[in-house]
Amino acid sequence: MASSMLLRSTLPRTFASATGRNVLRSALQVRASSTAQYVPGGPIIKGTVNDPVEFPHPSKVHGSYHWAFERLLAASLVPMTAAAFVTSGSSYPVLDGLLGLSLVMHSHIGFDSMVVDYVHKRKFPIIGPILTWTLRTATVGVLVGVYQFNTNDIGLTELIAKVWTA
Amino acid sequence: MMSARIGLGSATRRVAFAPVIGRNQTVLRTLIPKRGVQIQSLPPSASEEILNAQRLKRPSSPHFTIYQPQLTWLGSIANRVTGGALSALLYGFSLAYLIAPDTFDSAHIVEFVAGLPDYVKYTGKVILAAPFTFHFWNGLRHLSWDMGKFLSLKGAYRAGYAALGATVISTVALVLM
Repeated sequence: MASSMLLRSTLPRTFASATGRNVLRSALQVRASSTAQYVPGGPIIKGTVNDPVEFPHPSKVHGSYHWAFERLLAASLVPMTAAAFVTSGSSYPVLDGLLGLSLVMHSHIGFDSMVVDYVHKRKFPIIGPILTWTLRTATVGVLVGVYQFNTNDIGLTELIAKVWTA
Repeated sequence: MMSARIGLGSATRRVAFAPVIGRNQTVLRTLIPKRGVQIQSLPPSASEEILNAQRLKRPSSPHFTIYQPQLTWLGSIANRVTGGALSALLYGFSLAYLIAPDTFDSAHIVEFVAGLPDYVKYTGKVILAAPFTFHFWNGLRHLSWDMGKFLSLKGAYRAGYAALGATVISTVALVLM
């Protein structure tokens, strides 16, 4: 790294040669280090201070529609949970299935928000996408598991009721 | 300007306003000082490299470790933590049932829980009910924010205390159920 101020007590006649040497060194270092030192999320930013910030492509699906879907889903969970408390899962299997599906979707959206907040792919270009896809795979597995449990066994609400009073 | 960089602004100003006769000599004497400070000429593109060198040395100021605990952000992170814990339980159980349905079917689970001592059952109920009720009431608080209510500081604190109170009451109710 070139330092701009060299406090050497050199005589003025070596001025020209020293300047020429330092200019060459700093030019070479600029070309080599301005790209090599970039670390995602680190203190060094891509490009120069005059380059504009890169924004993600605006999309309603990932923006306002996602937000609205998330809130509607959370709101629908309130009456479903209340209903599950007063009825039994065996008498209303459709409610049980809907509740299970909504809970899994709600959990997936919650986990996805945590991944986006703490392990964003802009800063973690490898772990970020890996975690996102691991979560998606896990959610698919959970959906299959919940379906199997509700079909072949007593169902989620019934299980919780039984365990609670065991 | 090179002379401004090494603090020779006042000296250069004096030279600029000095009488014309001796100006050149004064200029030379100002720019080649007796202590022999070396000035380097850098191209403008070197500024980015100096900036990056400074950036690497910058410390990060404390934030998470020094922020005063407040109902607002403590409630928010508690909402996330409780939601994450409950979802992890749901995911864990569902995946376990998918992989080993005979070990994790309802009969085995109910049997296992029934065999536990009473104090373990009560503790377990509290550990399950408290996060669930907190997440539920705080979730309602979130939904009311989304509808535009309780968005002032007073409103957020009132709704927060109400959610905490409702959590305590409903946890007790659930544990005794």
